[in-house]
Formats: sequence, structure tokens, C-alpha cells
Amino acid sequence: MTHVPLNSIGRLRSAFLDDALYEEQRAELGALEARLEERRAEVQAGWGEKYVERVHDKGKLTARERVEQLKDPGTRVFEVGTFVNYGRQFGKLRSPGAGVVTAFAQVEGRHVMVIANDNTVASGAWWPMTPEKIQRAQHMALELKVPVVYLVDCSGLFLPEQSRSFGGARGAGHIFKMNSLLSQAGVPQIAGVLGDCIAGGGYMPIISDRVYMTEQAYMVIAGAALIKGAKSQKITSLDIGGPEVHVHASGCADIRVPDDETLLACIRAEVARLPSTAIDYYRGGTGPMDPAQPARELAGIIPSDARQVYEAEEVLARLVDQGLFWEVMPDIGREMICGIGRVSGLFTAFVINRQGLVDDPEHAKRRRPAGILYRGGIAKISAFSRACESDGIPLVWLQDIAGFDIGAEAERHGLLAYGSNLIYTNSEKKSPVFTILLRKASGAGYYAMAGLPYDPIVQLSTPISRLSVMEGRTLAIATYNTKLDDDFEIVTKDPEERAAIEQGMREVEQRIEADMDPYVAASRLDTDEIVRLDEVRPWLEALIEMSYQGIGARRVKNPRIWSMHDLHELTEGLE
Amino acid sequence: MRIAQAADALGITPVFGVSEADRDAPYTRGREVVVLGKARATESYLNRERVVQAAVQSGCTALHPGWGFLAEDPVFASLVEAHGVTFVGPPAHVMAAMGKKTPAKRAMAAAGLGVIEGSEGVLADAEQAAEVAASVGFPILLKAESGGGGRGMRIARSLGDVHAAYGEAQAESAACFGDSRLYLERLLERGRHVEVQLLADRYGNVVHLGARDCSVQRNHQKLIEESPAPTVEPAEMARTFEAAVRATRDIGYVGAGTMEFLLAEDGRLRFMEMNTRLQVEHGVSEMLMDVDLVTAQLRIAAGARLELSQEQLKPRGHVIECRINAEDPARGFAPTPGKVTRFGPPLTPEGARGDIRVDTHAEPGYVVGPHYDSLLAKLLVRGADREDARKKMIEALDAFVIEGVSTTIPFHRAVLSSEAFSRGEYFAGELPGFTAPSETVAGEATSP
Repeated sequence: MTHVPLNSIGRLRSAFLDDALYEEQRAELGALEARLEERRAEVQAGWGEKYVERVHDKGKLTARERVEQLKDPGTRVFEVGTFVNYGRQFGKLRSPGAGVVTAFAQVEGRHVMVIANDNTVASGAWWPMTPEKIQRAQHMALELKVPVVYLVDCSGLFLPEQSRSFGGARGAGHIFKMNSLLSQAGVPQIAGVLGDCIAGGGYMPIISDRVYMTEQAYMVIAGAALIKGAKSQKITSLDIGGPEVHVHASGCADIRVPDDETLLACIRAEVARLPSTAIDYYRGGTGPMDPAQPARELAGIIPSDARQVYEAEEVLARLVDQGLFWEVMPDIGREMICGIGRVSGLFTAFVINRQGLVDDPEHAKRRRPAGILYRGGIAKISAFSRACESDGIPLVWLQDIAGFDIGAEAERHGLLAYGSNLIYTNSEKKSPVFTILLRKASGAGYYAMAGLPYDPIVQLSTPISRLSVMEGRTLAIATYNTKLDDDFEIVTKDPEERAAIEQGMREVEQRIEADMDPYVAASRLDTDEIVRLDEVRPWLEALIEMSYQGIGARRVKNPRIWSMHDLHELTEGLE
Repeated sequence: MRIAQAADALGITPVFGVSEADRDAPYTRGREVVVLGKARATESYLNRERVVQAAVQSGCTALHPGWGFLAEDPVFASLVEAHGVTFVGPPAHVMAAMGKKTPAKRAMAAAGLGVIEGSEGVLADAEQAAEVAASVGFPILLKAESGGGGRGMRIARSLGDVHAAYGEAQAESAACFGDSRLYLERLLERGRHVEVQLLADRYGNVVHLGARDCSVQRNHQKLIEESPAPTVEPAEMARTFEAAVRATRDIGYVGAGTMEFLLAEDGRLRFMEMNTRLQVEHGVSEMLMDVDLVTAQLRIAAGARLELSQEQLKPRGHVIECRINAEDPARGFAPTPGKVTRFGPPLTPEGARGDIRVDTHAEPGYVVGPHYDSLLAKLLVRGADREDARKKMIEALDAFVIEGVSTTIPFHRAVLSSEAFSRGEYFAGELPGFTAPSETVAGEATSP
């Protein structure tokens, strides 16, 4: 069998979920989505209208306006790291989006990574976490081998906080190492300098293959103010490092252009000179098609309450083209589903946790909760992940996982070793991996299913993601273990002591709950972006297309020579 | 039946996939047959997995989906291909793109075809609807992006109607299709239904086989078709042919397909939709151009290049087709299931070889079942010109003998004999020369 034996999965929503419950779940999520939209708007506003006007008064565009003009009309921009530094305070100041826009965009039909300093936030200065955010974007581009466009307009480090973004392994200077590594890997880098480009910022464009400067731009190791202080010279920054100097005298830039609009048009023209994409080639004669059941229904199918169950097949059916899917090893480890479908016409592998109860293979006629890692499931996804690696199939992990099974039986089975095997497998992956925290991402389950510490190229959270070592209630019980009986009831009868224990448990639970908020994770860069459930499919389309954009950058096998077929024959028997 | 004949001509052994109800149908006699399942279409003809399984198990290399049921289902096309069987039709993704309103319209406009004026894709809200409506002119039609079958549609005749119509259409779309998105088009009420037959191979070679006028329809059910389309200005027709061929090539279409147009009172053809399958009325174009479309489909599926260039395709005369259904025109076209006791198609007169054609699966003793549609036969006649074809068709209808069930022959005779039909003065949806008997009798009219 060398065909990819896809079959129809999924049903009409009304066949498994009645309108009332669907609407109720949709409404619950709707409130969380409204908050997401509000917060996105808040970040996108930067420091507000006053600063936008200031940029316009200089005859420049804002960072987001630049991205809009750079991209192909009618295409969507996929921003990453929107919520980095969200809610953080630096003295009296905030740094929306850490003062930089990092986004996947389509330019001349090719996906690129755009890194644009937000000139409406402290003139594009680098805050604590800004270097990490830029490096994260560079890392994504390096892994996907998609071109990088830098739109530089940066006044340098935000000096009051300089010590927090300078000295460490991921300090500002590491951005330039990433520039170098991208160059070494043959990833095209194109820079436009559209304003200030001081000190560290000065290095960022230079390593790029092509450097454009507007007449308002200058690149300097030290700006006018510093020169005045150090050398008692009065001279403008434009005189020190404007296009007159860098395009003509120093050769640090290639081309000077009058304004932002012209520069952006020139960058589009540069991207157009790159080889066109291989996406259509790898579709193998077919084309992109929507899921048979609408992807936007995900928003009403997955309940916000993490204790409520849903059908994982119905989620997959709304993510793969036409709802066509090949489930691999369906009879083993039924708590997990793994298999292959197409996204935007391109082969894509999925692993997802089933919810609810599944048959317990260890005990005949008993059932056990899914959404947990057991021996069979771990072995299955480990083998599946290895086959994807061997075949060059991008792998998407859809997490809604409470953790590993625990207890005497689990230890006797050697779940530690099974888990380590999986971790080793995921650690040496070279083929693209993406992780989506649909809902729960708890404990070692988060690690085992390729959570961010295992280097997925991009990790997305949703408004209902819960990322934690354990649930708040679990930790509260563990903390007050000695004070509780077998039914987790407080033992003592002393009313004062009881009240103290109750309050303590409540506080532990609340603290953990607060930390599980996806915005907390996104603010710390513990996850790359928070997306609405109905955006998961468009995101996947972009990510998978990028995985297949280039040729020669990674292994892509045609299905005839997939080792996935061996796995299928070995587990299902020869047909 | 048509497909089996084409397969025979090419030396291919056809296998019929049929439901239990059709297992003894006359056309299966002496043929290899696979029973798909029970008579209910959902357990046989509409069950994708069963059809694919039947094809794989009977060792078929290709599957022709016919012209109903799964023929325009891109999931089915993908499923067939995924299991190693060639789907006789366009690639699934092209079929899917043509099945969606906005992308199809956009692709056609890009290739230079006229389209019905309206919103650029989906509307944001009622305000935008009002704005677009004002710019394209009233009346307008609000339509569901995921809709079909006339549901989720509302007409607004003036600016004052837009808000209410938008709200109603949105609510109905949400209820019927789980998708409340709407788009808007100018409503062109008096027009003719004209369609262009196209044929493309896998290598970008595309030809058209003329245009059919199918304006004689009842409830969107076509009853009489003819070709060439009598009321289109030659310059507009030529421009449309050229753009239709270009569009077909641009979208990567393969096989036989039909683009449907509305001929509005201003004389312009505007694209409505593309049918990505062979249509029931394909015989009209076959007869006009002396080609066999089913054979061409099979050859193209097997990878052959188009045999004829556009220059080699020459229309001959004028062709009219009447669909003869087992329905009673006098009783609101109610289906008349039962046994056909006599069945005598008209004979081709001496010296008129190839000028009369009868496509039918019926014969004396054939039982019209209650499960599927009631089409008994298609009668096609060629004349030197339209008037000649019209006269010959009336003669052929007179000679056609079907007894045991009521048929639509009297209806066709009435239409073809009418002044309006012969002058070509009628609009799509009208039935020239046919007066429906009053559908309600006194007493019934007051009942709820």
C-alpha cells in the first residue's frame, strides 16, 4: 500500500451537539475572545494616537502601517509575540508588544518573517524581552527557512532598563548572532532602515543581504548626543551615519530611497527576485481545500470548562482539508489519535488527545480517562513522531493533556522510561513541529507532547489554554496533604485552624489559576501567541505552507517511500 | 447507459454501481454490476465510502460519477483518487473552488468574463450592504455565502428594505447553514439562461462546444434546451466564448464542464456558476458539434490530448432537446410512478440519419420507481435552422408513444407550438404556451 488511504471523518455538528449546548459553549468562549480582541487592539495601539501622529509628522509610517504596505493585498498577517511584556510595568511606562512587531506575512506570494521596530513605543527602543522576542522570530525563520525582512527604526536600548537586556546568553547582542546564523544557513535577509538605527540596532541591518535606507535614516554606533558628550562635537546623527555616509562612503548600505513607501516597494521587488515557492509542487496535483465541516465551529465544540469533554475526531475533522484523514495505529493507545491529513493541500501529521473515557487495555471491561499519557499511547506517539521525522512530514501536536498516568501500576510499567523515550524522540527532531495548546497543558504531559521547552517552531495558545505543572486544586491538596483525610476533607475540628487551612488552600488554588492565564505565559514568552479557536485552521495553513515553501532545505519524502507505511503494516497487518 | 456505450466504443469493460432498486434495470443486462446498497440514495448512490469500496473491490481503474448524486462532490473525488482510482472529472480542488460563490466569481472576473454586479465577497454588516446596494442599483438579492437551494436569500427593492432583508437572510442562513455570512448581487429578474459547454484536457488545451439556451424551466428544472443560443448577439457570444475558454484554462479545469450565464435585458452575458460535471443536456452540444462528450471524458481521464481543435469544431444546424418525464403536467407536474406498458420512440425518417436522437433507459415493461427522478427519455432533434428544428420536434413528439404513465409530451407540444417560443420571446422560468390548470379547487383554497 503506497496510497495515503484517507477517509472521511467528522459529522455535521448537529449530529453530535445540539444547538442549545453549542450556542452556550460558543457564548462562553465568545466572552474570552472579546477580551482577546480588546487586548490585541490595546497592544496594537502602541503608546497611542499622540505617538502615531508624531511618526506621521515626520513623514514616516508606523510599524504596523509598514507591515500592511509590505504584504500582498488581501492576505492575512500572523503576528507572534503580541503579548510579550503584557501587563508588565517599567517604572511608569509600559512596552506594548515589547516595542517590536514580529509577524509572518505574504510578500509576492512568498511567506516571510517581518521584524519591525514599533516606532510608536519609545521610538522603537529595545526593552527587557525585546531581544528575546526578536530572536524567537529569527529562530522561527531559521527553522522554516523563510526570508526575513527587518524594518529598522530603533533608538537603541531603553537605557533605564539596559542591564536587563544586555548581558545574558539571550541579551541584545545575540540578535546579531542570529543574523549570522541565518546568513550561514542561506536564509535571505533584507533590511530597510527607516529612521534611527543606533548602537546595537546598527548591527541588525548590516548582516542582511540587501540594505535600503530612506533619506530620514541613519545608522551609527553612537548618535549625536553621545558624540557631543564624548568628543565635544556638534553634529547631527544624519551627518554621522545617514545615507550620504553609508550608501556612498562606507558601503554599509546598498541603496538610498526617498521615503517609506518607496523602500517598502523596493523590498517587495527584492522578495520577488527570490525563487518562487514550492508549495504548489508539494501539493502533488491537488490544491488547498477547506475542511468539510466548518473550522469556525471549533469555537463551540470545545467547552471552555476543562472538565467537560468533546470528541477529538470532530476537532481534527475541522482542521484537515475536506475532513479527510488517515488514522495510523487506531487500535493501540486509544487515548491518543495520530494520523495524517492535508492542510492547504500539503501532507500534515497530527497528534491529539482523546477526551472522556476509553477502554482500559490493562483491565478487561474497565474504562479509564483519556487525556492522560499511558504506556500504549506514549509508545504510539513516539513511533509516530519518529516516522514523521523520517518522512519529513510536519507534525502538529494538539494538546489537551492532564499529564502522565501516576501510581504503582504506572511506575511498574516504567512510564518514566516510556516518557524519556518520547522526549528523546522529540528532542532530535529536524522536521517541522508545531504545538497548539487547545486547553490543558499540564505537567510532564506538556513536555512529552512537544511543549515549548522541546522547541516546536511555533507554539500557539488559545483563550482557554491552561499551562501549568498541575491544576491549582491538585497543588492545594498536595500542599495541605498532612491536614486532609482520604476524601480530601480537612481533619481538624478546631474552627480557627479549619478557617486558616481553608484560606490557605484557596490562596494556593487562586495563585495557580492566575498563573495559568494564557496572557501570563504569553507575556513571559512561554508561548508564542494566543489565537482564537476559529483562527487555528488559518494559522495551520500558513505554518504548513511555510514548511513546504523552500526546496532542498529539509527532507520531504513522497508518500511512496514513507516509513509511515511500514508502521501501518506492522501494526495493522498486511492487506 | 451513455457511459457504458462510450466505454464499449473504447474497448473498456464498464462495471455498473447500482442500488438494490436498480439491480435488474434494463441497462444492467449483460453487464458487470456491483450492488452499492439499499434503494435509499444515502445507503447507495450518496454513500461515498460504499461507492469507492465497490470501485476498488471490482478492480476499476477509473470511476465515472454520472451526472447526479456525487458528481459534484469534491470530497468524493479526493476519496476516489486517494484509493488509487482515477476520478473522471476535474481535480477535486478545482471542483471545490467552483463550488464556492466568491472564489468562483473572482476567478471568472479575472479571466475577463462578465459577472453579476455585487459585493466584493462577504459583507461586513447591513450598513455595507446598503452602500453596495446603492452603488449597483436595485433590486438586489442578498445570498448566503454557504447557501444553496434558495434558502438564506432575500430580495430588497429599495434602500428601505435592505436592513430588514439583511436581518432575515442572516438569521435564515445561520439556521440553515450554520454560517450567517452574506453577499449581495444585483437581481436581474428578466433574463435568459444560457450555458457554454467546455472541454479541457490535462495539458491546458481547452475548447468550447457552443452555447445552449435552457430558459424553459420549471422550479429550476430544465425542460427544453437548444443550441445555438438564439437570442445572444454574435459579438457578445464570441467575446464570452473566448473568455470562458481562458477561464477554464486558468483555473486548471480538466474534463467536461459547463458555465452558466444569465443573459440580461441589456444583452450582456453574466457568469452565474460553473457545473463541474457532464449535464443531462450535454447531448444537445454533442449533436450540434458531432462529438461524443462521454468518450472524450474517458479519453481525457486516461491522459489523452483533446482530439479536435476549436477550428475543427463546426456547428451543424440547430438542435432542440425535450426532456420527457413521467410527470403529469395537468396535475402540477406530479410524478406518475408505474409501469410503462408501451414505449415507442420516433423513428428517424429516411435520409435524416443523425437528426433524431433518443437517449433513454426505458423500454416496454419498465417500472418508474418512486426513489429517483422521473426522467424517462431525452428527445433530440436537429434541423437546418431553429424553425426547422422546432417543426421536426413537434413531429417527433407526435410520433413518440408512451403508455402506462403520464408524461410531459403534451406540455412540450404546447410550448413548441406557441407563438412566444417560435419568436423566442420569453424569459427564464416562464413556460411559453403552457397554462397551468388552476392548482386549487374551491374549498381547498380556504383550508389552512
